[in-house]
Amino acid sequence: MPELYLRLLNRILTPLLLLLAIYLLLRGHNLPGGGFIAGLMAAAAFELQILSRGHDRVRRSIGPYLNSGIGLGLAIAICSGFAGLLNGVFFKGLWFDLHLPLLGELAVGTPVIFDLGVFLVVVSVATSYLLGLSRISDSAAPIPDGASSLELSDSFESDPAVVADDSSLRSER
Amino acid sequence: MLAASILLILVSGAFLYWIRPHTRVWAGLLSALPPLAVTVWQLNAALPLLSGAGAASGGKADLQNGTIIAEHYRWIESLGLELSFRLDGLSLLFGLIISGIGVAVALYTHYYLEDDDRQGYFYLALFAFMASMLGLVWADNLLTLFVFWEGTSVTSYLLIGYSHRSPVARGGARNAFIVTAGGGLALLAGLILLGQASGSYSISEIIARPGLAEHDLYPAILILILIGAFSKSAQFPFHWWLPGAMAAPTPASAYLHSATMVKAGIYLLARLHPALSDHPLWLWALLLFGGTTMLLGAVFALRHSDMKALLAYATVSQLGVLTTLLAFRSEAALLAVVVGILSHALYKGPLFLVAGIVDHATGHRDLRMLGGLRRTLPVTSGIALLAALSMAGIPPLFGFVAKEALLESAYSAAEHGDAAGWLAFGAAAVTGAFFVAYSFTFVWEAFLRPAPSAETGDSTSHSPHSSVATPIHHPPAPAFVAAPLILVALGTFAPFVLKPLSRVFTPAAASIAAQPVHVYASLWHGFTPAFLTSLLAITVGIWLFLIRSRLRAFLSQLPDNLRGVFLFQRLLDDLYALAQITARFSQGYTLATQSGVVLLAASIPIVVALRQINLNDLFPTPLAIPGAPETILILMIGVSAYATARVTSRLGAIISLGVVGVSVTLFYVFFSAPDLALTQLLIEVLTVVLLVLVFTKLPPDIRPAMQRWKQARNVLVALAAGAFGFFLVLFNSSDAMQAALSISDYFLHNAVPGGHGANVVNVILVDFRAIDTMGEITVLAIAALGGYALLNAPRVRLPTPTPIQPESEQPTESEETDPVAGTSRLNVDPPTDPKAE
Repeated sequence: MPELYLRLLNRILTPLLLLLAIYLLLRGHNLPGGGFIAGLMAAAAFELQILSRGHDRVRRSIGPYLNSGIGLGLAIAICSGFAGLLNGVFFKGLWFDLHLPLLGELAVGTPVIFDLGVFLVVVSVATSYLLGLSRISDSAAPIPDGASSLELSDSFESDPAVVADDSSLRSER
Repeated sequence: MLAASILLILVSGAFLYWIRPHTRVWAGLLSALPPLAVTVWQLNAALPLLSGAGAASGGKADLQNGTIIAEHYRWIESLGLELSFRLDGLSLLFGLIISGIGVAVALYTHYYLEDDDRQGYFYLALFAFMASMLGLVWADNLLTLFVFWEGTSVTSYLLIGYSHRSPVARGGARNAFIVTAGGGLALLAGLILLGQASGSYSISEIIARPGLAEHDLYPAILILILIGAFSKSAQFPFHWWLPGAMAAPTPASAYLHSATMVKAGIYLLARLHPALSDHPLWLWALLLFGGTTMLLGAVFALRHSDMKALLAYATVSQLGVLTTLLAFRSEAALLAVVVGILSHALYKGPLFLVAGIVDHATGHRDLRMLGGLRRTLPVTSGIALLAALSMAGIPPLFGFVAKEALLESAYSAAEHGDAAGWLAFGAAAVTGAFFVAYSFTFVWEAFLRPAPSAETGDSTSHSPHSSVATPIHHPPAPAFVAAPLILVALGTFAPFVLKPLSRVFTPAAASIAAQPVHVYASLWHGFTPAFLTSLLAITVGIWLFLIRSRLRAFLSQLPDNLRGVFLFQRLLDDLYALAQITARFSQGYTLATQSGVVLLAASIPIVVALRQINLNDLFPTPLAIPGAPETILILMIGVSAYATARVTSRLGAIISLGVVGVSVTLFYVFFSAPDLALTQLLIEVLTVVLLVLVFTKLPPDIRPAMQRWKQARNVLVALAAGAFGFFLVLFNSSDAMQAALSISDYFLHNAVPGGHGANVVNVILVDFRAIDTMGEITVLAIAALGGYALLNAPRVRLPTPTPIQPESEQPTESEETDPVAGTSRLNVDPPTDPKAE
């Protein structure tokens, strides 16, 4: 499956896409971008990985982090909300001006941290969907005689038993 | 200090969890320290009250009515919420019970759950409960009280469900939680109405204000608050959750379900007594429900041979007694409440703890299998005997004082020719007889009589006929027995120190009455009608005790399906069935049905809204002619949408759908919405690539053609959805809408000064509407869980001609050499690593 041009593209594009995602995340507060877009962009990078390297290897390398990524993202988002309590109200923004040696003045606030949480949730959710679906596609093979129906098809309305009973599918073997 | 005490309890719970108490010998003693500290601190704070400075002969209103300590903390000022606490006579009594019994229970837990590696978890939940309970009784704000009230419901759920592998424990926890949390909802409504009606959420202000009973909202307030209090305090018709909650480990039963949490409802009624009791509705509601509960509990206690179930029904009965007493306004009745609360805590707590010791030592707690424990567990038996005699109300024990106070107050109400008084008096007398009967049953069958022989029980595997006592597997440690011993000793000495104790009782009764009271509990009233009734009740009780086997036989014939638990289970089952029907109707089996229902439901409000306005106003008056780029895009969208619907191959449909999406993206670009465009574009790319990935692998679409009527239906739904979307957009961009209520200007003007960001869309997402976004990403996370379940569930695996290879098991080598497997896998590429080959 992994074809040469895809592997080549993967080598070049994945780091670029991930960098682009981070760039979009960081600049999101003032220019088009933000956690949601950056998350999707990173997920696109992972999709390229899945296409070029196969979902198994991608799952082995990043799969274990996805669930914790969702939880961590939610936790970061909620915590940035609680930080607002220091300012009196839940989710009220807190802002600090940082003086960084090379970049100069940088305004950091809880909304930016919140955006980081959004990014983590979006990238983790999207990637876990991609991984899950690509595995399904891998385990599916055409049925020549069309004896059984597919989950996504309309015909279950007439025969719900097919969905309910996995053994009816297994018996096809 | 009040808030600090609550924090101390919370933190020590976490600390106990952290030290892994099941591995430490001294953890039991350590765990008793924080509640002990809180007890001592309360006694110290209340010293002016207790030393008799103001209370001795009942005149000094400032101390009797007064607040010992009051604290206020900021909480959510923008909503006018504050955390406020107040320690007065009533909260002091409850606070002392909570922390005092807490000392014994904390000590006991360590030995009861010895070698259980989840002991730390139990301590964590127990101390969280203790903190909530302290907060509940110290709260001086209705909403503060409610928060802690809910805290007790949640922690109680965790404690009942501690043995989470047992379905009985899970069921008991669930039922208790549904009842108490449902009651909590009613209570919240009632408290808010109360706050609105009286103009203040401060409890001390509310009870100081007269005239609430004349308010129009009074019946609603009363009913809602009563539902809350009755559900928490296991009053009829909610009484059945309490026996179910006995699946909890015994320390939790002793603490939550007899001494403290179930008294929260009683506490609430007592707390609001001054504000609400001046109305016949109060009198009759409390009298009827309390009276029913006390009779019901007393009778059904006899039916059960499980020690804890018996005690649970006895507790239900006692709670009914307290509720009944609160119906009255006389000082004697209020004093009887106070005495009843303390005496009950001091005998029922130890009885539960004793039941736990017996369970721990012998391995069971069914009275039919027990006997003769006085030989093998002499100290425990002594504790049980004293506590049970107190429960029976035998003089000169504390229970007797409480029962005397109860009968006296009911009799004095009856003497005034009060029908309510007679009812209460009669019910109390009958209940008293049953109290005696089940107390004697408890202590006789488990401890005093010789062990039952084989024919009575099925527990004869290790103790056949010969033994006189149920064998002991784990002799209890001294500190294990010390916990109930302390409590029972307090209860036994209490009647002889009633004079100093009255310095606690009197202020507590005065808090309920909201004025000084002048009655005192005493051990000996003389040969009053109440005493004679008490003697009669004891005699009848002994008779009931003697004929208990016939009573049990009779009671066990009652149909099971009239019991509250069964009715509730039926209700739940019906609810699930209803949910299934609605789910089937609204979600159907196919995506088409499901989205059709959603779209049509969403269009209902739009139709209603559109009926209110003139459709002609929606169209901009000079109809703008779209320029060439827009026209091309519109054509592209139209054509590809049509193609999506008509094309027969899946790939074709996916690609043309992608064209629709990307064309819409271009629209966003035209109207300078780069964030939307980026998002949409990324989503399109991801989905198209993904769908191509999945759908090329799927077998060809060989469904039978859709029936005509289904096609027509789908087309209609789609057209309707499109039309409604169209009108919605028109409506939003119409002149009237733009002029009236546009919030865009606010966002545009405040993004940089308020949100420190020039990208308004992003500032809206992460700052102005951050809570919305929070909700959205939470939904996303939940959807990921759903997707995980869906994609990993066995039935979603698509059918394959070959057995599905379990993942990461045995790479494909053997398979490729096998000609049969190789051919049948057709075009599925094995996930091999090219480098490895």
